[in-house]
Amino acid sequence: MLTVADLSKRHARASRPLFSGLGFAVAAGEIVALVGESGVGKSTLLNCIAGLETAGSGTIRIGPQATDIVRLDEAARAALRASSIGFVFQAFHVLPTLTVAQNIRVPLLLGGVPAGEHAPRTRLLLERVGLPGFGDRWPASLSGGELQRVAIARALVHRPSLILADEPTGNLDPRTAGEVLSLLLERVREQQASALVVTHSQHVAQCCDRILTLTPDGLA
Amino acid sequence: MKTLAWWLVRAQFRSRRAATLLSLLAIALGVALGYAIHLINDAALADFSRAMNTVQGDPDAVIAARDSAGGVPLATVNEIARDPAVLIIAPVIETRVRIAQARTPIRLIGLDVFSAAAVMPRLLPRQDDRPATGSIVDGGVHASPALLAQLGLPIGAPVTLTRGDQQWSTIVAGDLPATGPDDLLLVADIAWVQEHFGPDDAVSEARVRLAPDTDVAAWRAALTQRLPAGLLLRAADDDRARVSNLSRAYRVNLNVLALVALLTGAFLVFATQLTAVAQRSTQFALLGVLGLSPRMRLLQILLEGLAIGLPGALFGLALGYGLALGFTQLLGGDLGGGYFSASAPLIVPQLAPALGFLALGCIASLAGALYPAYLNRMQPLAQALKTGFAQRPRPAGRSRSRLLLPMLLALGVFGLTRLPPLFDLPLAGYAAIALVLVIGIAAAPLLTQRVFGYFARQSLPAPQQIALQNVAQAPLMAQVAASGLIVSFALTASMVIMVASFRVAVDHWLDEVLPAPLYLRSKATPLPQELLAALTRPEAPFARVERTAHASLTLDPQRPNVGLLVREIDRRNPAARLPFTGVVLTPPPDMAVVWISEPLHEIYRISPGETLPLPLLGGEFEVFVGGVWRDYSRQFGAIVISRDDYLRLGGVFQPTDLALWPLTGQEAAAVAWLAPWTVNYGLELAEAADIRQLSLSIFDKSFAVTYALEAAAMLIGLFGLAVTLAAGVWLRAGELATLGALGFSRRMLSRAVMLEGALIAVIGLLIGLACGVAIGAILTHVINPQAFHWRMPLDIPWLVLLTGAASTLAAAVVASHYAARQATRLPVAQVLASAQ
Repeated sequence: MLTVADLSKRHARASRPLFSGLGFAVAAGEIVALVGESGVGKSTLLNCIAGLETAGSGTIRIGPQATDIVRLDEAARAALRASSIGFVFQAFHVLPTLTVAQNIRVPLLLGGVPAGEHAPRTRLLLERVGLPGFGDRWPASLSGGELQRVAIARALVHRPSLILADEPTGNLDPRTAGEVLSLLLERVREQQASALVVTHSQHVAQCCDRILTLTPDGLA
Repeated sequence: MKTLAWWLVRAQFRSRRAATLLSLLAIALGVALGYAIHLINDAALADFSRAMNTVQGDPDAVIAARDSAGGVPLATVNEIARDPAVLIIAPVIETRVRIAQARTPIRLIGLDVFSAAAVMPRLLPRQDDRPATGSIVDGGVHASPALLAQLGLPIGAPVTLTRGDQQWSTIVAGDLPATGPDDLLLVADIAWVQEHFGPDDAVSEARVRLAPDTDVAAWRAALTQRLPAGLLLRAADDDRARVSNLSRAYRVNLNVLALVALLTGAFLVFATQLTAVAQRSTQFALLGVLGLSPRMRLLQILLEGLAIGLPGALFGLALGYGLALGFTQLLGGDLGGGYFSASAPLIVPQLAPALGFLALGCIASLAGALYPAYLNRMQPLAQALKTGFAQRPRPAGRSRSRLLLPMLLALGVFGLTRLPPLFDLPLAGYAAIALVLVIGIAAAPLLTQRVFGYFARQSLPAPQQIALQNVAQAPLMAQVAASGLIVSFALTASMVIMVASFRVAVDHWLDEVLPAPLYLRSKATPLPQELLAALTRPEAPFARVERTAHASLTLDPQRPNVGLLVREIDRRNPAARLPFTGVVLTPPPDMAVVWISEPLHEIYRISPGETLPLPLLGGEFEVFVGGVWRDYSRQFGAIVISRDDYLRLGGVFQPTDLALWPLTGQEAAAVAWLAPWTVNYGLELAEAADIRQLSLSIFDKSFAVTYALEAAAMLIGLFGLAVTLAAGVWLRAGELATLGALGFSRRMLSRAVMLEGALIAVIGLLIGLACGVAIGAILTHVINPQAFHWRMPLDIPWLVLLTGAASTLAAAVVASHYAARQATRLPVAQVLASAQ
């Protein structure tokens, strides 16, 4: 569950705010696409929701407890990300110095999930993303599609209430992109998480439950 | 969380194996050198203290003459013995004698066996019934086992002891089983020593054991008030302090050099961790996005630093123990310092210092990781995730304010060099050196931006343009790469400057203090009168002979003795023989005059024109200080008095050294004339050229350890440059690949990277040279006078320094080749594809 209300953001030394008075909600199990022209502030909005950038005003409530990430300090924002948010990036961002299984276990370690659950959850997720037996492999030996599947497994392994995806298929060929997108949406719905997907792709947007368009004048 | 931290530490070791291992080795080297120096010195001091305890025992107080030529009158000994608080008083006569079989004079201790049994039990002869041995009171001498082994004498062998013209023919009546393996000494009954060598009415020392209930401090204070001026009361603490003071400055200096190695190690950790942070900034940003808190990101880098420092320090401790064993075998217990016996002392590993050095190694690596950890903490996550580590060049307009800090620090350096020593150590001087290095490193980015920014605006071929632009626009990376070179070259250059200045000064000094072609000395015992008389006869082939008597004085019981040189010198023209450092004052006609050495002037703060109460010949005489002369051979000070003044004060002139000018053309005949005397009396004859050569070789040996440290520092600095350049190539893979796609050949890329390395090395060497000259001046003008009490003019060997800089530059270009090769091997298409 994600609820954004009256959100504003202005960059330092900018003459006008990047966006102001934004409000929307994403229900549990709902997948919303966020589209808009380059430079309109999609990534900034996503960063604000993740607590990576601070909003000027407004509220961003996340999860069943409706915790307002805007009011939290840096350490508490990190803790909220570790427990309640999963990320999928365009550039995969799989740690090259950890094995596939270790990469997937990182959110479990950060979220304080008991160690006994790590191996079964990792194994289950690897099966769900179609990579059974890949746990001991190094990222360098994986294709782009496989790397994004690892990233999806990592985003879901700690059962977050919110998934934030930034151009999740942007670096993949159309066939692989289709497979990865289906996998992501299927798993998000399965876990009853809320998802916000930033994309330039009409195809990706059409696959989502709802489309929000960010313009210089606000959400449409 | 611990698991994740451990994974990341392991990943750091796996992915940056060479850099991490070398950082670890640098820390290990610093810890090893520090620990080794500590172990060696501790063992040498323990050895020295043990030897002293053997001879002196464990008395509550020792009463002795301040003047080595004087003694404690028997009347004073008897008066102290009547004190009800005195349980036992053990009189001792100590002198040096020659034995035909020995090359150097031997220490002879005359004691009363009954009182010695209570105060100095280790000096007691073996008690057994072997027929060859006799009782000590029957007139035999007892020798330490070490001396017996050295001379090859059996017990019962006849032996003749000689002191000047006095002789004593006796037998070796037994041995001294409790003495140590380095103790070369003879023990005899005090009455026999007195009979053959005197003096009749005094002893060298009286060692006192007080009754158990006595307030020792109060008794000592009361006796000190009553003692005549020429006598002093020493406590065991004074002796320990004196032994410690003997080598303290040398020891601290070596420890500072070890800390320098540790500091260089810290810089290497800094370079390694900063490049690691830069390389892995995207990974750390990702972990931050996934929920790793900022504090944990900071702690992770510190933990990685500790993961280098802890094993490095542990390895350093083991290495240090090995080095201590090796060094003592090669250089003896004082590492060439000349303070203790040259034999190898027993090295025993110690827990507390080991823990101390372990902590130092860890602190050094943590200090090195601190700034990278801070940078990692402060990286904006969203930006770092997108573009990786990026340093924005600072605007040039702010350079004026950036100059302010180095200028303030430079003022701080000046202030620190004006401060006096603390606890007799040049601590402020060492702080000034550290500050100079900080200024040098802090100035690197500004200088890089200014100089290379200017050249980058000129019209140049593409590789040069790219290299200049990159160095100018990424001053932080240039600073990291150059910092190791700045520190290592500054320290090496400063040591070269200090050693060269010192060597030139010693060379000039030797010219002045060795005016005669030949020198004859008896090493602490008086020269035979027969020889002195023969030298005055017309057939002696000498144009001129100058005689000197060596003795020593105690000015402060807690400091080592100062030398007393009674010389045949014209009191109206002392400058003819002594190398004065300043004005020479004419003394009042009715007053004895002394000329003090530079160390004495520094240690006791006595200046020309003052009067000095000189403890001499059992009394105290007010003497006029006529001037300060340069002396590099007696670190704890020396006083020269003319023979005429000494005789006037009541002294007996017993020469121990001769300076000899053979008649022209009769140099060989003069040596031949002296030969029988040197053989018969065990005297030492040397030509001035040989003394000069020997002195300079001892000088070079004493700096041998520092050369090894300099070489290690330079290697570490060069390695730091290579590692940082290679990391720079990795970080700019995308940029370099783009250049490749735009038409840069592999050769041009290689050239650009190598030029970049050379440019950074030039900056590092220029700043290092400037810092080196500043530190060399501090070492010469602050550290040396405060630690060793030696002053000398600054002599900068520019040719050596510039040759060293050129060689280092060449080595840096070779080191850059490694990074350049990486640049040429970049898979351009793959890098560009992954950067999209």
